[in-house]
Amino acid sequence: MSSQAKTPRNSDRRTKLLAISAMFAALALIFSYVEVLIPIPVPVPGIKLGLANLVIIIALYRMGFRYAFTINMVRIVAAGLLFSGVFGMIYSFAGGILSIIVMYLLYRTDKFSMVGVSMAGGVCHNLGQLLTACVLLENTGILSYFSVLLFSGLISGILIGILAYVIEKRLPPFTE
Amino acid sequence: MIKKADIILLILIVAAGLIISFGPLAKEAGGTDVRVTLDDDTYGIYSLAEDRTITIEKDGHTNVIVIEDGTVRMESSTCKNQICVEHGKISLKGDSIVCLPNRVVVEIEGEGGEADVISG
Repeated sequence: MSSQAKTPRNSDRRTKLLAISAMFAALALIFSYVEVLIPIPVPVPGIKLGLANLVIIIALYRMGFRYAFTINMVRIVAAGLLFSGVFGMIYSFAGGILSIIVMYLLYRTDKFSMVGVSMAGGVCHNLGQLLTACVLLENTGILSYFSVLLFSGLISGILIGILAYVIEKRLPPFTE
Repeated sequence: MIKKADIILLILIVAAGLIISFGPLAKEAGGTDVRVTLDDDTYGIYSLAEDRTITIEKDGHTNVIVIEDGTVRMESSTCKNQICVEHGKISLKGDSIVCLPNRVVVEIEGEGGEADVISG
């Protein structure tokens, strides 16, 4: 990770990270697609496994906030245009940005494991979407829906966190 | 894999969730009024707090709606399928009983009207 080399080696590293970012964005997009294909049999909208977050967390741990943030934005724009429409994109942006900022702050304290970070991310993702819904629909009554989304975000966040932990350990180093 | 801080965070989130679930929202969950609709027109609005029996007769069909202890049920109906009668009691805002053959709809409304929004 920490290559202290001079300019040519450094640009090598950047190219490598760029390629990995592109791969990650594509992977996150595929995960978004898989989620559209397999609806979870719960009669409440907004409950998702958040598979794409798996990629984002690993990007956050391995490449840092800026890369993870960019990958997430690329995924949201692409997935929004392909699946959920522009209106859905607004919700995704709110959820995605809030969750990644919270995850980054928790990650930086170094007190939490991947599971804790992912858990908070899942909850914040739902919170961001719900707050957006309140603003867009001008109705605060929707907040009563938060308790359902809080627990679903919690559970899916924990599952994704465990998965991310297991996968991240097995990934080879991105740059030597 | 799981650190102490994770557990604390989990407890905090769960606590926040429970407070939100059982806090002020518990009061809002129950509706206050019962709206009965017949042939797309409002037949009447009744208070959920008052026990009463409403009998609707139209074109030879009869529906009996009973409001009791803050719940509403379709006591009897002359329709064929009896889905409305089997629906049982409702008490929450946004809940409804529909008798399609007789075109009778019983809905529970809160103070803020029938707003029941689902976020995408």
